[in-house]
Amino acid sequence: MMTYIVFILSVIFVVSFVGFSSKPSPIYGGLVLIVSGGVGCGIIMNFGGSFLGLMVFLIYLGGMLVVFGYTTAMATEQYPEVWVSNTTVMGVFLLGLLMEVMLVLYVLKSEEVGVVFKFSGVGDWAIYDTGDSGVFSEGIMGVAALYSYGAWVVIVTGWSLFVGVLVILEVTRGD
Amino acid sequence: MNPLIFTTILMTVLLGTMIVMMSSHWLMIWIGFEMNLLAIIPILMKKYNPRTMEASTKYFLTQATASMLLMMAIIINLMHSGQWTITKVFNPTASIIMTSALAMKLGLTPFHFWVPEVTQGISLTSGLILLTWQKLAPMSILYQISPSINLNILLTMAVLSILVGGWGGLNQTQLRKIMAYSSIAHMGWMTAVLVYSPTLTMLNMLIYIMMTLTMFMLFIQSSSTTTLSLSHTWNKTPLTTTLILITLLSMGGLPPLSGFMPKWMIIQELTKNSSIILPTLMAIMALLNLYFYMRLTYSTSLTMFPSTNNMKMKWQFETKQITLLPPLIVMSSLLLPLTPMLSILD
Repeated sequence: MMTYIVFILSVIFVVSFVGFSSKPSPIYGGLVLIVSGGVGCGIIMNFGGSFLGLMVFLIYLGGMLVVFGYTTAMATEQYPEVWVSNTTVMGVFLLGLLMEVMLVLYVLKSEEVGVVFKFSGVGDWAIYDTGDSGVFSEGIMGVAALYSYGAWVVIVTGWSLFVGVLVILEVTRGD
Repeated sequence: MNPLIFTTILMTVLLGTMIVMMSSHWLMIWIGFEMNLLAIIPILMKKYNPRTMEASTKYFLTQATASMLLMMAIIINLMHSGQWTITKVFNPTASIIMTSALAMKLGLTPFHFWVPEVTQGISLTSGLILLTWQKLAPMSILYQISPSINLNILLTMAVLSILVGGWGGLNQTQLRKIMAYSSIAHMGWMTAVLVYSPTLTMLNMLIYIMMTLTMFMLFIQSSSTTTLSLSHTWNKTPLTTTLILITLLSMGGLPPLSGFMPKWMIIQELTKNSSIILPTLMAIMALLNLYFYMRLTYSTSLTMFPSTNNMKMKWQFETKQITLLPPLIVMSSLLLPLTPMLSILD
């Protein structure tokens, strides 16, 4: 099972995406976002990006999703929608699950799968080599490159975030 | 809006487009698109009422979807070529997805549905920025990937856009929707010649921006958003009736005005490449555009549109002074003799 761990984690990833795309109440959407964030972190870690996976947990789940949870808790309604409460939501969820199951069976049974990309069965998902770049891990090297050669990227993204806050305040301010 | 905040946000819109146009790394281009989108939302929502909020939401949703498609195309390109530079898109799948994403950003058919609705819901100045400045960034990316674009998809979208832009504008009396459908048709002309000669795309973009700027500024000067209020221009500023006539005929692509230059060059380039039916169809469908421009000139300049007697004695406080208007009018009508100079765009 451990050889196909990335495949299994990807399937859980897609299932949780189906879970929040079928539009239950945001609280339950946040719940499956936590699951998908954790599973996505696992996928990245299997490719050797331990730093990046830790960033996902810390910043995405521990920062952004926590704030999202607070705001949805403030704006919640008396009877929030679960996946089984509304026929539409349950239908979409089951349809997404069905499509995922069919895709998994297609991958498992056939020799070569070519939907948008071509990959040859489940064996293509197993990790053999994590792209070793010596002593340092790739994630830390990326951060070092970001702050040295990629100074312009830091400026641009910093400015985008700043303007993002300005825009949000401007839009929600009203007249 | 606070002037300092407004300046910052406007500068960020400019910065976003500049980053898109000047980057060689796909990720920076995507960041530029997102910065542009984020910063133009409060500009679209300058007047705070439900209509502008709905228009901004529609704009944001469609452009964000297009950015996501662009990101997927970038990653597919990265998977198949292993590098992030923008010169050539090696994989046909990535190229098709990228073309669709940029077509969504431009408002080409079949992704044109947001253009009239968003343009109608916002103020005239915001509509001006939306229909001119926002077209620069996606067109520059299309220019840069033009060697690897699938011709069938692009030509289909272009021809359908010219058809939809002409046909859809026929039933409109709201000026902003008319300008939106005109924008869809002009984008169709621009992308039709993109694979054959990207220089002509840039020429068409230049002339189109000048003409659209002129039209919008003429509308802003008389604060008119419907055909009916435009038809009262003879009462407010009689000179602008003639200017509206000339500019509208230029937009319709009539010689000897400068709007004829891009159409002439595009048809010539297409026939040089042995496609005869296509430019014939395009020229015929441009007549639909000309029809509703003519209808506007008929009600504005050529006749005194029927109105009640108290509407014939309008007064306004003071005329808006738009400094850029006279040079724009001259440029959007008299540039045809300068056609040989288009070689500077190479």
